[in-house]
Amino acid sequence: MTTDNHTDDGPASATDGSPSTNVDASADETTYDCNYCDRPFAREQYRTLHVGLDHHDECTDAEIEAFQDAYSEEGEEIRLFRLKAIGGLVLLYFGFLFTYSIVT
Amino acid sequence: MERHVRRQFCGLVAAVLVAVALLSGRAFAHGGALRSSGESLAVPTWLFLATGGGVVGASFLLASLVTDRTLVRRIDEYGSTLALSRARVVDVFGSIVGVAGLAAVLWFGVRGPTDPFRNLAVLVVWVGWWAGYVMSVYLVGNTWPTLNPFRTLVELLPSLELAYPERLGSWPSVAGLIALIWVEVVSPLADDPQLLAQVVAAYTAVTVVGGAAFGPERWFSTVDPISRVFSYYGRVAPVERIDDGLSLRLPGMALTDSRGVDSISEVAFIVALLWVTTYDGLVTVPAWADATRGAVGAGLPVQAVYVGSLLGGFVLFFGAYVLASYASRRLAETYLRPARLARNFAPPLLAIAAGYHLAHFLGYFLSLLPPLTAALSDPFSPPSNPLTYVMPSWFGGLELTFVLVGHLVAIWVAHAAAYDVFPGRLQAIRSQYPFILVMVIYTMVSLWIVSEPSVTPPYL
Repeated sequence: MTTDNHTDDGPASATDGSPSTNVDASADETTYDCNYCDRPFAREQYRTLHVGLDHHDECTDAEIEAFQDAYSEEGEEIRLFRLKAIGGLVLLYFGFLFTYSIVT
Repeated sequence: MERHVRRQFCGLVAAVLVAVALLSGRAFAHGGALRSSGESLAVPTWLFLATGGGVVGASFLLASLVTDRTLVRRIDEYGSTLALSRARVVDVFGSIVGVAGLAAVLWFGVRGPTDPFRNLAVLVVWVGWWAGYVMSVYLVGNTWPTLNPFRTLVELLPSLELAYPERLGSWPSVAGLIALIWVEVVSPLADDPQLLAQVVAAYTAVTVVGGAAFGPERWFSTVDPISRVFSYYGRVAPVERIDDGLSLRLPGMALTDSRGVDSISEVAFIVALLWVTTYDGLVTVPAWADATRGAVGAGLPVQAVYVGSLLGGFVLFFGAYVLASYASRRLAETYLRPARLARNFAPPLLAIAAGYHLAHFLGYFLSLLPPLTAALSDPFSPPSNPLTYVMPSWFGGLELTFVLVGHLVAIWVAHAAAYDVFPGRLQAIRSQYPFILVMVIYTMVSLWIVSEPSVTPPYL
Protein backbone atom coordinates (compact mmCIF):
# COMPACT_ATOMS: atom_id res chain seq x y z
CA MET A 1 0.00 0.00 0.00
CA THR A 2 1.68 3.13 -1.11
CA THR A 3 -0.85 5.70 -0.07
CA ASP A 4 -2.11 7.17 3.13
CA ASN A 5 -5.18 9.10 3.95
CA HIS A 6 -5.19 12.53 2.47
CA THR A 7 -6.56 14.86 5.07
CA ASP A 8 -5.15 18.03 3.60
CA ASP A 9 -7.64 20.80 4.02
CA GLY A 10 -5.24 23.58 3.10
CA PRO A 11 -5.97 26.01 0.32
CA ALA A 12 -4.41 23.74 -2.30
CA SER A 13 -6.99 21.05 -1.72
CA ALA A 14 -9.65 21.20 -4.34
CA THR A 15 -12.43 21.25 -1.80
CA ASP A 16 -11.82 24.75 -0.51
CA GLY A 17 -13.91 27.75 -1.34
CA SER A 18 -17.39 27.43 -2.69
CA PRO A 19 -17.46 24.83 -5.43
CA SER A 20 -19.39 27.14 -7.73
CA THR A 21 -16.53 29.62 -8.04
CA ASN A 22 -13.88 26.97 -8.63
CA VAL A 23 -15.61 24.60 -10.99
CA ASP A 24 -17.53 25.06 -14.12
CA ALA A 25 -19.26 22.25 -16.01
CA SER A 26 -21.69 22.98 -18.80
CA ALA A 27 -25.18 21.55 -18.34
CA ASP A 28 -25.08 19.11 -21.26
CA GLU A 29 -21.99 17.27 -20.02
CA THR A 30 -22.23 14.08 -17.99
CA THR A 31 -20.35 14.63 -14.79
CA TYR A 32 -19.60 12.33 -11.88
CA ASP A 33 -20.26 14.47 -8.83
CA CYS A 34 -18.77 13.79 -5.44
CA ASN A 35 -21.45 12.89 -2.87
CA TYR A 36 -19.60 14.73 -0.13
CA CYS A 37 -18.54 18.03 -1.71
CA ASP A 38 -20.41 18.12 -5.07
CA ARG A 39 -17.19 18.61 -7.02
CA PRO A 40 -17.81 17.31 -10.56
CA PHE A 41 -15.40 14.92 -12.29
CA ALA A 42 -15.07 13.89 -15.91
CA ARG A 43 -14.53 10.22 -15.12
CA GLU A 44 -15.89 7.86 -12.54
CA GLN A 45 -12.33 6.79 -11.75
CA TYR A 46 -11.40 10.34 -10.75
CA ARG A 47 -14.37 10.56 -8.44
CA THR A 48 -13.51 7.25 -6.80
CA LEU A 49 -9.94 8.39 -6.26
CA HIS A 50 -11.08 11.77 -5.00
CA VAL A 51 -13.44 10.23 -2.43
CA GLY A 52 -10.67 7.99 -1.12
CA LEU A 53 -8.14 10.82 -0.94
CA ASP A 54 -10.13 13.82 0.21
CA HIS A 55 -12.99 12.18 2.17
CA HIS A 56 -11.06 9.29 3.64
CA ASP A 57 -12.50 9.82 7.10
CA GLU A 58 -16.16 10.05 6.18
CA CYS A 59 -16.59 7.61 3.31
CA THR A 60 -17.92 4.04 3.47
CA ASP A 61 -15.86 0.83 3.46
CA ALA A 62 -17.12 0.03 -0.03
CA GLU A 63 -15.84 3.38 -1.24
CA ILE A 64 -12.45 2.71 0.36
CA GLU A 65 -12.30 -0.62 -1.40
CA ALA A 66 -13.25 0.98 -4.71
CA PHE A 67 -10.58 3.58 -4.11
CA GLN A 68 -7.92 0.95 -3.48
CA ASP A 69 -8.88 -0.85 -6.68
CA ALA A 70 -8.80 2.41 -8.65
CA TYR A 71 -5.45 3.31 -7.14
CA SER A 72 -3.82 0.04 -8.17
CA GLU A 73 -5.49 0.16 -11.57
CA GLU A 74 -3.96 3.58 -11.96
CA GLY A 75 -0.62 2.03 -11.06
CA GLU A 76 -0.71 0.02 -14.25
CA GLU A 77 -1.30 3.05 -16.43
CA ILE A 78 1.54 4.73 -14.56
CA ARG A 79 3.93 1.88 -15.36
CA LEU A 80 3.25 2.45 -19.04
CA PHE A 81 3.70 6.17 -18.61
CA ARG A 82 7.04 5.61 -16.86
CA LEU A 83 8.31 3.57 -19.78
CA LYS A 84 7.36 6.41 -22.11
CA ALA A 85 9.00 8.99 -19.83
CA ILE A 86 12.22 6.98 -19.66
CA GLY A 87 12.08 6.58 -23.43
CA GLY A 88 11.72 10.36 -23.68
CA LEU A 89 14.73 10.87 -21.41
CA VAL A 90 16.85 8.47 -23.46
CA LEU A 91 15.82 10.21 -26.68
CA LEU A 92 16.58 13.60 -25.18
CA TYR A 93 19.96 12.44 -23.91
CA PHE A 94 21.10 10.83 -27.14
CA GLY A 95 19.56 13.61 -29.18
CA PHE A 96 21.75 16.11 -27.38
CA LEU A 97 24.76 13.78 -27.44
CA PHE A 98 24.60 13.43 -31.22
CA THR A 99 23.81 17.10 -31.76
CA TYR A 100 26.85 18.05 -29.70
CA SER A 101 29.09 15.58 -31.51
CA ILE A 102 27.97 16.92 -34.89
CA VAL A 103 28.06 20.62 -34.04
CA THR A 104 31.27 20.80 -32.03
CA MET B 1 8.14 1.93 4.23
CA GLU B 2 10.50 4.51 5.66
CA ARG B 3 13.47 2.89 3.94
CA HIS B 4 11.57 2.51 0.73
CA VAL B 5 10.75 6.21 0.71
CA ARG B 6 14.30 7.19 1.56
CA ARG B 7 15.71 4.98 -1.18
CA GLN B 8 13.36 6.49 -3.73
CA PHE B 9 14.28 9.97 -2.59
CA CYS B 10 18.02 9.29 -2.86
CA GLY B 11 17.44 7.81 -6.29
CA LEU B 12 15.55 10.90 -7.35
CA VAL B 13 18.25 13.27 -6.11
CA ALA B 14 20.98 11.24 -7.81
CA ALA B 15 19.03 11.12 -11.06
CA VAL B 16 18.50 14.88 -11.10
CA LEU B 17 22.18 15.53 -10.42
CA VAL B 18 23.26 13.14 -13.16
CA ALA B 19 20.83 14.68 -15.62
CA VAL B 20 21.96 18.20 -14.85
CA ALA B 21 25.62 17.22 -15.10
CA LEU B 22 25.23 15.26 -18.32
CA LEU B 23 22.93 17.60 -20.13
CA SER B 24 24.32 20.91 -19.11
CA GLY B 25 27.89 20.58 -17.90
CA ARG B 26 29.41 21.71 -21.13
CA ALA B 27 26.99 24.54 -21.68
CA PHE B 28 27.65 25.91 -18.19
CA ALA B 29 31.36 25.99 -18.82
CA HIS B 30 31.04 27.68 -22.17
CA GLY B 31 28.40 30.12 -21.05
CA GLY B 32 30.60 31.09 -18.12
CA ALA B 33 33.59 31.60 -20.38
CA LEU B 34 31.55 33.84 -22.63
CA ARG B 35 30.52 36.13 -19.87
CA SER B 36 33.98 36.72 -18.48
CA SER B 37 36.14 36.83 -21.58
CA GLY B 38 33.76 38.02 -24.26
CA GLU B 39 34.91 35.18 -26.51
CA SER B 40 32.35 33.44 -28.66
CA LEU B 41 30.72 30.28 -27.39
CA ALA B 42 32.35 26.98 -28.23
CA VAL B 43 28.82 25.78 -28.96
CA PRO B 44 26.36 27.88 -30.95
CA THR B 45 23.92 29.91 -28.87
CA TRP B 46 20.89 27.97 -30.15
CA LEU B 47 22.38 24.71 -28.90
CA PHE B 48 23.29 26.23 -25.56
CA LEU B 49 19.73 27.52 -25.13
CA ALA B 50 18.22 24.25 -26.34
CA THR B 51 20.30 22.44 -23.74
CA GLY B 52 18.90 24.68 -21.02
CA GLY B 53 15.37 23.97 -22.24
CA GLY B 54 16.27 20.29 -22.44
CA VAL B 55 17.38 20.25 -18.82
CA VAL B 56 14.02 21.67 -17.74
CA GLY B 57 12.16 19.14 -19.90
CA ALA B 58 14.27 16.26 -18.60
CA SER B 59 13.75 17.38 -15.02
CA PHE B 60 10.02 17.36 -15.58
CA LEU B 61 10.20 13.80 -16.93
CA LEU B 62 12.29 12.77 -13.92
CA ALA B 63 9.87 14.44 -11.49
CA SER B 64 6.96 12.72 -13.22
CA LEU B 65 8.57 9.34 -12.45
CA VAL B 66 7.92 10.01 -8.77
CA THR B 67 4.30 8.88 -8.53
CA ASP B 68 4.20 7.84 -4.90
CA ARG B 69 1.79 10.21 -3.17
CA THR B 70 3.31 9.46 0.22
CA LEU B 71 6.79 10.44 -0.91
CA VAL B 72 5.57 13.60 -2.61
CA ARG B 73 3.69 14.65 0.51
CA ARG B 74 6.52 13.73 2.82
CA ILE B 75 8.96 15.95 0.94
CA ASP B 76 6.32 18.66 0.85
CA GLU B 77 5.64 18.55 4.57
CA TYR B 78 9.19 17.92 5.75
CA GLY B 79 10.12 20.48 8.39
CA SER B 80 9.25 21.58 11.87
CA THR B 81 8.10 24.52 13.93
CA LEU B 82 10.16 26.41 16.43
CA ALA B 83 8.07 27.79 19.27
CA LEU B 84 9.19 31.34 19.79
CA SER B 85 7.18 33.95 21.57
CA ARG B 86 7.00 37.27 19.80
CA ALA B 87 9.34 39.62 21.53
CA ARG B 88 8.13 43.17 21.37
CA VAL B 89 11.69 44.42 21.66
CA VAL B 90 12.52 42.78 18.30
CA ASP B 91 9.58 44.50 16.62
CA VAL B 92 10.50 47.87 18.08
CA PHE B 93 14.16 47.45 17.19
CA GLY B 94 13.23 46.39 13.64
CA SER B 95 10.98 49.41 13.21
CA ILE B 96 13.72 51.75 14.46
CA VAL B 97 16.30 50.22 12.07
CA GLY B 98 13.82 50.54 9.20
CA VAL B 99 12.93 54.15 9.86
CA ALA B 100 16.59 55.08 10.49
CA GLY B 101 17.49 53.45 7.16
CA LEU B 102 14.78 55.41 5.35
CA ALA B 103 15.88 58.66 7.00
CA ALA B 104 19.51 57.96 6.10
CA VAL B 105 18.59 57.29 2.46
CA LEU B 106 16.66 60.58 2.26
CA TRP B 107 19.35 62.61 4.07
CA PHE B 108 22.40 61.22 2.24
CA GLY B 109 20.55 61.26 -1.04
CA VAL B 110 20.20 65.03 -0.76
CA ARG B 111 23.35 65.93 1.16
CA GLY B 112 25.78 63.10 0.49
CA PRO B 113 28.56 62.94 -2.13
CA THR B 114 27.34 62.89 -5.73
CA ASP B 115 29.57 59.97 -6.74
CA PRO B 116 27.21 56.96 -6.57
CA PHE B 117 30.05 54.66 -5.45
CA ARG B 118 30.55 56.86 -2.38
CA ASN B 119 26.96 57.82 -1.64
CA LEU B 120 25.38 55.93 1.22
CA ALA B 121 21.83 56.37 -0.11
CA VAL B 122 22.60 54.82 -3.50
CA LEU B 123 24.65 52.00 -2.00
CA VAL B 124 22.13 51.16 0.69
CA VAL B 125 19.14 51.15 -1.69
CA TRP B 126 20.67 49.24 -4.59
CA VAL B 127 23.42 47.11 -3.12
CA GLY B 128 22.25 46.68 0.46
CA TRP B 129 18.51 46.54 -0.04
CA TRP B 130 17.46 45.64 -3.58
CA ALA B 131 20.32 43.15 -4.10
CA GLY B 132 21.45 41.89 -0.68
CA TYR B 133 18.34 42.24 1.43
CA VAL B 134 16.01 40.79 -1.21
CA MET B 135 18.30 37.74 -1.39
CA SER B 136 18.00 37.28 2.35
CA VAL B 137 14.21 37.37 1.98
CA TYR B 138 13.99 34.42 -0.44
CA LEU B 139 16.99 32.52 0.91
CA VAL B 140 16.23 32.84 4.63
CA GLY B 141 12.89 34.45 5.44
CA ASN B 142 10.77 37.55 5.06
CA THR B 143 11.79 40.09 7.69
CA TRP B 144 10.23 43.05 5.87
CA PRO B 145 7.04 43.19 7.99
CA THR B 146 9.32 43.89 10.98
CA LEU B 147 11.52 46.44 9.21
CA ASN B 148 9.02 48.13 6.87
CA PRO B 149 9.59 51.84 7.66
CA PHE B 150 6.54 52.92 5.63
CA ARG B 151 4.28 50.80 7.78
CA THR B 152 5.85 52.17 10.96
CA LEU B 153 5.10 55.70 9.74
CA VAL B 154 1.53 54.81 8.75
CA GLU B 155 0.86 53.20 12.12
CA LEU B 156 1.89 56.41 13.87
CA LEU B 157 -0.91 58.23 12.06
CA PRO B 158 -4.66 57.92 12.63
CA SER B 159 -6.30 55.74 9.99
CA LEU B 160 -9.37 56.85 8.02
CA GLU B 161 -10.24 53.18 7.28
CA LEU B 162 -11.93 54.03 3.98
CA ALA B 163 -13.53 51.07 2.23
CA TYR B 164 -11.14 49.65 -0.35
CA PRO B 165 -12.84 49.16 -3.74
CA GLU B 166 -12.82 45.35 -3.85
CA ARG B 167 -13.29 45.14 -7.61
CA LEU B 168 -9.78 46.57 -8.05
CA GLY B 169 -8.32 43.47 -6.39
CA SER B 170 -4.54 43.59 -6.42
CA TRP B 171 -4.34 45.30 -9.80
CA PRO B 172 -3.06 48.59 -8.26
CA SER B 173 -0.03 46.69 -6.95
CA VAL B 174 0.57 45.19 -10.41
CA ALA B 175 0.51 48.69 -11.90
CA GLY B 176 2.71 49.96 -9.06
CA LEU B 177 5.31 47.25 -9.59
CA ILE B 178 5.49 47.86 -13.33
CA ALA B 179 5.68 51.63 -12.75
CA LEU B 180 8.52 51.22 -10.24
CA ILE B 181 10.53 49.12 -12.68
CA TRP B 182 9.86 51.61 -15.44
CA VAL B 183 11.25 54.43 -13.25
CA GLU B 184 14.21 52.23 -12.31
CA VAL B 185 15.05 51.36 -15.91
CA VAL B 186 14.54 54.70 -17.65
CA SER B 187 15.92 57.11 -15.05
CA PRO B 188 19.47 57.26 -13.65
CA LEU B 189 18.24 56.19 -10.22
CA ALA B 190 21.44 54.30 -9.46
CA ASP B 191 23.69 57.18 -10.53
CA ASP B 192 21.94 60.26 -9.20
CA PRO B 193 21.54 60.29 -5.39
CA GLN B 194 19.31 63.39 -5.43
CA LEU B 195 16.89 61.84 -7.88
CA LEU B 196 16.89 58.65 -5.83
CA ALA B 197 16.01 60.63 -2.69
CA GLN B 198 13.18 62.35 -4.57
CA VAL B 199 11.74 59.06 -5.78
CA VAL B 200 12.00 57.52 -2.30
CA ALA B 201 10.34 60.61 -0.81
CA ALA B 202 7.54 60.42 -3.39
CA TYR B 203 7.05 56.71 -2.68
CA THR B 204 6.96 57.42 1.05
CA ALA B 205 4.36 60.18 0.56
CA VAL B 206 2.09 58.00 -1.60
CA THR B 207 2.41 55.06 0.78
CA VAL B 208 1.78 57.08 3.93
CA VAL B 209 -1.28 58.81 2.44
CA GLY B 210 -2.65 55.56 1.01
CA GLY B 211 -1.92 53.60 4.16
CA ALA B 212 -3.60 56.21 6.35
CA ALA B 213 -6.61 56.33 4.04
CA PHE B 214 -7.29 52.59 3.71
CA GLY B 215 -5.67 51.35 6.90
CA PRO B 216 -2.21 49.77 7.11
CA GLU B 217 -3.47 46.16 7.04
CA ARG B 218 -5.30 46.62 3.77
CA TRP B 219 -2.72 48.85 2.11
CA PHE B 220 0.35 46.72 2.80
CA SER B 221 -1.34 43.42 2.00
CA THR B 222 -3.12 44.48 -1.18
CA VAL B 223 -1.77 47.67 -2.70
CA ASP B 224 1.85 48.36 -1.69
CA PRO B 225 3.98 46.66 -4.38
CA ILE B 226 7.15 46.48 -2.25
CA SER B 227 5.49 44.70 0.67
CA ARG B 228 3.84 42.32 -1.74
CA VAL B 229 7.10 41.52 -3.52
CA PHE B 230 8.66 40.67 -0.16
CA SER B 231 5.73 38.61 1.04
CA TYR B 232 5.82 36.53 -2.18
CA TYR B 233 9.61 36.18 -2.19
CA GLY B 234 9.37 35.16 1.46
CA ARG B 235 7.26 32.18 0.39
CA VAL B 236 10.31 30.73 -1.38
CA ALA B 237 12.34 30.86 1.85
CA PRO B 238 12.71 27.96 4.29
CA VAL B 239 11.80 30.06 7.34
CA GLU B 240 8.40 31.66 7.83
CA ARG B 241 7.14 33.59 10.80
CA ILE B 242 3.85 32.23 12.10
CA ASP B 243 1.73 33.30 15.04
CA ASP B 244 3.54 31.35 17.72
CA GLY B 245 7.04 30.96 16.33
CA LEU B 246 8.90 30.03 13.19
CA SER B 247 7.90 27.42 10.64
CA LEU B 248 10.79 25.62 8.90
CA ARG B 249 10.31 23.84 5.58
CA LEU B 250 12.44 22.79 2.65
CA PRO B 251 13.15 25.81 0.41
CA GLY B 252 10.29 26.45 -1.99
CA MET B 253 7.91 23.91 -0.46
CA ALA B 254 5.64 26.62 0.97
CA LEU B 255 4.85 27.38 -2.67
CA THR B 256 2.84 24.16 -3.00
CA ASP B 257 -0.24 25.80 -1.53
CA SER B 258 -1.92 28.73 -3.18
CA ARG B 259 -2.30 30.68 0.06
CA GLY B 260 -2.09 34.40 -0.70
CA VAL B 261 -3.06 33.86 -4.33
CA ASP B 262 -6.81 34.30 -4.13
CA SER B 263 -7.63 36.09 -7.34
CA ILE B 264 -6.42 36.40 -10.89
CA SER B 265 -4.96 39.84 -10.06
CA GLU B 266 -2.58 38.12 -7.65
CA VAL B 267 -1.59 35.68 -10.37
CA ALA B 268 -0.92 38.75 -12.52
CA PHE B 269 1.29 40.17 -9.78
CA ILE B 270 3.43 37.02 -9.66
CA VAL B 271 3.74 36.98 -13.44
CA ALA B 272 4.59 40.71 -13.35
CA LEU B 273 7.31 40.04 -10.77
CA LEU B 274 8.79 37.42 -13.07
CA TRP B 275 8.51 39.71 -16.05
CA VAL B 276 10.04 42.83 -14.46
CA THR B 277 13.02 40.78 -13.21
CA THR B 278 13.49 39.60 -16.78
CA TYR B 279 12.97 43.05 -18.28
CA ASP B 280 15.59 44.52 -15.97
CA GLY B 281 18.12 42.14 -17.55
CA LEU B 282 16.67 42.28 -21.05
CA VAL B 283 17.36 46.01 -21.53
CA THR B 284 21.09 45.43 -20.98
CA VAL B 285 21.67 42.84 -23.73
CA PRO B 286 23.27 44.09 -26.97
CA ALA B 287 20.43 42.79 -29.14
CA TRP B 288 18.01 44.97 -27.17
CA ALA B 289 20.22 48.01 -27.76
CA ASP B 290 20.24 47.29 -31.51
CA ALA B 291 16.47 46.79 -31.64
CA THR B 292 15.86 50.01 -29.69
CA ARG B 293 18.17 51.99 -31.96
CA GLY B 294 16.32 50.56 -34.94
CA ALA B 295 12.90 51.45 -33.53
CA VAL B 296 13.97 54.96 -32.54
CA GLY B 297 15.68 55.39 -35.93
CA ALA B 298 12.35 54.53 -37.55
CA GLY B 299 10.79 57.49 -35.74
CA LEU B 300 9.35 56.02 -32.55
CA PRO B 301 9.78 58.13 -29.39
CA VAL B 302 12.27 56.60 -26.93
CA GLN B 303 9.79 56.48 -24.04
CA ALA B 304 7.21 54.78 -26.25
CA VAL B 305 9.74 52.03 -27.01
CA TYR B 306 10.52 51.45 -23.34
CA VAL B 307 6.96 51.70 -22.03
CA GLY B 308 5.58 49.73 -24.97
CA SER B 309 8.05 46.88 -24.51
CA LEU B 310 7.56 46.81 -20.74
CA LEU B 311 3.76 46.59 -21.04
CA GLY B 312 3.82 44.42 -24.16
CA GLY B 313 6.16 41.92 -22.51
CA PHE B 314 3.92 41.71 -19.47
CA VAL B 315 0.85 41.10 -21.61
CA LEU B 316 2.80 38.41 -23.49
CA PHE B 317 3.94 36.66 -20.29
CA PHE B 318 0.53 36.87 -18.67
CA GLY B 319 -1.24 35.82 -21.86
CA ALA B 320 1.01 32.78 -22.25
CA TYR B 321 0.36 31.80 -18.65
CA VAL B 322 -3.43 32.18 -18.93
CA LEU B 323 -3.38 30.23 -22.19
CA ALA B 324 -1.43 27.47 -20.44
CA SER B 325 -4.13 27.35 -17.74
CA TYR B 326 -6.81 26.80 -20.37
CA ALA B 327 -4.74 24.10 -22.05
CA SER B 328 -4.08 22.50 -18.67
CA ARG B 329 -7.80 22.30 -17.98
CA ARG B 330 -8.39 20.43 -21.23
CA LEU B 331 -5.45 18.07 -20.84
CA ALA B 332 -6.26 17.18 -17.24
CA GLU B 333 -9.96 16.54 -18.00
CA THR B 334 -11.07 18.61 -15.05
CA TYR B 335 -13.98 20.90 -14.34
CA LEU B 336 -11.85 23.21 -12.25
CA ARG B 337 -11.87 26.64 -13.82
CA PRO B 338 -8.74 27.83 -15.63
CA ALA B 339 -8.51 30.73 -13.16
CA ARG B 340 -8.38 28.26 -10.32
CA LEU B 341 -5.58 26.30 -12.03
CA ALA B 342 -3.75 29.55 -12.73
CA ARG B 343 -3.87 30.35 -9.02
CA ASN B 344 -2.63 26.93 -7.98
CA PHE B 345 0.31 26.86 -10.34
CA ALA B 346 1.38 30.51 -10.04
CA PRO B 347 3.40 30.24 -6.78
CA PRO B 348 6.05 27.91 -8.32
CA LEU B 349 6.91 30.78 -10.67
CA LEU B 350 8.26 32.62 -7.63
CA ALA B 351 11.10 30.08 -7.36
CA ILE B 352 12.03 30.94 -10.95
CA ALA B 353 11.92 34.66 -10.20
CA ALA B 354 14.11 34.15 -7.12
CA GLY B 355 16.64 32.06 -9.08
CA TYR B 356 16.78 34.73 -11.73
CA HIS B 357 17.16 37.51 -9.17
CA LEU B 358 20.05 35.63 -7.56
CA ALA B 359 21.72 35.11 -10.93
CA HIS B 360 21.30 38.76 -11.74
CA PHE B 361 22.27 40.35 -8.43
CA LEU B 362 24.68 38.09 -6.50
CA GLY B 363 27.70 39.22 -8.53
CA TYR B 364 26.55 42.83 -8.34
CA PHE B 365 26.13 42.58 -4.57
CA LEU B 366 29.49 40.92 -3.93
CA SER B 367 31.47 43.24 -6.19
CA LEU B 368 29.95 46.35 -4.61
CA LEU B 369 30.14 45.11 -1.03
CA PRO B 370 33.41 47.02 -0.26
CA PRO B 371 32.00 50.46 -1.21
CA LEU B 372 28.86 49.68 0.81
CA THR B 373 30.80 48.74 3.95
CA ALA B 374 33.11 51.73 3.45
CA ALA B 375 30.13 54.09 3.19
CA LEU B 376 28.42 52.47 6.18
CA SER B 377 31.48 52.79 8.39
CA ASP B 378 32.11 56.41 7.45
CA PRO B 379 29.00 57.83 5.74
CA PHE B 380 30.09 61.48 5.89
CA SER B 381 33.47 61.09 4.24
CA PRO B 382 33.71 57.71 2.49
CA PRO B 383 37.04 56.86 0.77
CA SER B 384 37.36 58.80 -2.47
CA ASN B 385 38.12 55.81 -4.66
CA PRO B 386 36.52 52.73 -3.09
CA LEU B 387 37.71 49.38 -4.31
CA THR B 388 35.27 46.98 -5.96
CA TYR B 389 35.74 43.25 -6.41
CA VAL B 390 35.93 41.67 -9.84
CA MET B 391 34.14 38.36 -10.07
CA PRO B 392 36.24 35.35 -11.19
CA SER B 393 35.59 33.76 -14.57
CA TRP B 394 33.69 30.77 -13.21
CA PHE B 395 31.09 33.08 -11.71
CA GLY B 396 29.13 33.21 -14.97
CA GLY B 397 28.62 29.45 -14.69
CA LEU B 398 27.32 29.91 -11.17
CA GLU B 399 24.76 32.43 -12.43
CA LEU B 400 23.47 29.99 -15.04
CA THR B 401 23.21 27.36 -12.31
CA PHE B 402 21.00 29.67 -10.24
CA VAL B 403 18.63 30.15 -13.18
CA LEU B 404 18.38 26.39 -13.67
CA VAL B 405 18.03 25.58 -9.97
CA GLY B 406 15.13 28.05 -9.76
CA HIS B 407 13.40 26.16 -12.57
CA LEU B 408 14.09 22.76 -11.04
CA VAL B 409 12.56 23.82 -7.72
CA ALA B 410 9.57 25.25 -9.61
CA ILE B 411 9.03 21.97 -11.47
CA TRP B 412 9.06 19.93 -8.29
CA VAL B 413 6.77 22.37 -6.49
CA ALA B 414 4.30 22.35 -9.37
CA HIS B 415 4.41 18.53 -9.39
CA ALA B 416 3.56 18.44 -5.67
CA ALA B 417 0.84 21.09 -6.09
CA ALA B 418 -0.73 19.12 -8.96
CA TYR B 419 -0.86 16.01 -6.77
CA ASP B 420 -2.78 18.03 -4.21
CA VAL B 421 -5.28 19.31 -6.75
CA PHE B 422 -6.04 16.26 -8.88
CA PRO B 423 -7.21 12.86 -7.69
CA GLY B 424 -5.62 11.05 -10.65
CA ARG B 425 -1.84 10.92 -10.68
CA LEU B 426 -1.53 10.81 -14.46
CA GLN B 427 -4.12 13.58 -14.56
CA ALA B 428 -1.77 15.64 -12.36
CA ILE B 429 1.17 14.96 -14.67
CA ARG B 430 -0.82 15.83 -17.79
CA SER B 431 -2.00 19.09 -16.21
CA GLN B 432 1.62 20.24 -16.13
CA TYR B 433 2.44 19.84 -19.85
CA PRO B 434 1.41 23.38 -20.88
CA PHE B 435 3.07 24.98 -17.87
CA ILE B 436 6.29 23.07 -18.57
CA LEU B 437 6.24 24.28 -22.15
CA VAL B 438 5.93 27.87 -20.92
CA MET B 439 8.79 27.22 -18.47
CA VAL B 440 11.04 25.75 -21.16
CA ILE B 441 10.57 28.87 -23.27
CA TYR B 442 11.10 31.05 -20.25
CA THR B 443 14.35 29.24 -19.29
CA MET B 444 15.70 29.77 -22.76
CA VAL B 445 14.91 33.49 -22.62
CA SER B 446 16.52 33.97 -19.20
CA LEU B 447 19.59 31.86 -20.03
CA TRP B 448 20.04 33.94 -23.16
CA ILE B 449 19.88 37.17 -21.13
CA VAL B 450 22.28 35.91 -18.46
CA SER B 451 24.78 34.62 -21.02
CA GLU B 452 24.85 37.80 -23.10
CA PRO B 453 27.36 40.53 -22.25
CA SER B 454 25.80 43.47 -20.45
CA VAL B 455 25.72 46.94 -22.08
CA THR B 456 24.15 50.25 -21.05
CA PRO B 457 20.64 50.61 -22.51
CA PRO B 458 20.65 53.28 -25.25
CA TYR B 459 19.03 56.77 -25.05
CA LEU B 460 18.75 56.86 -21.26
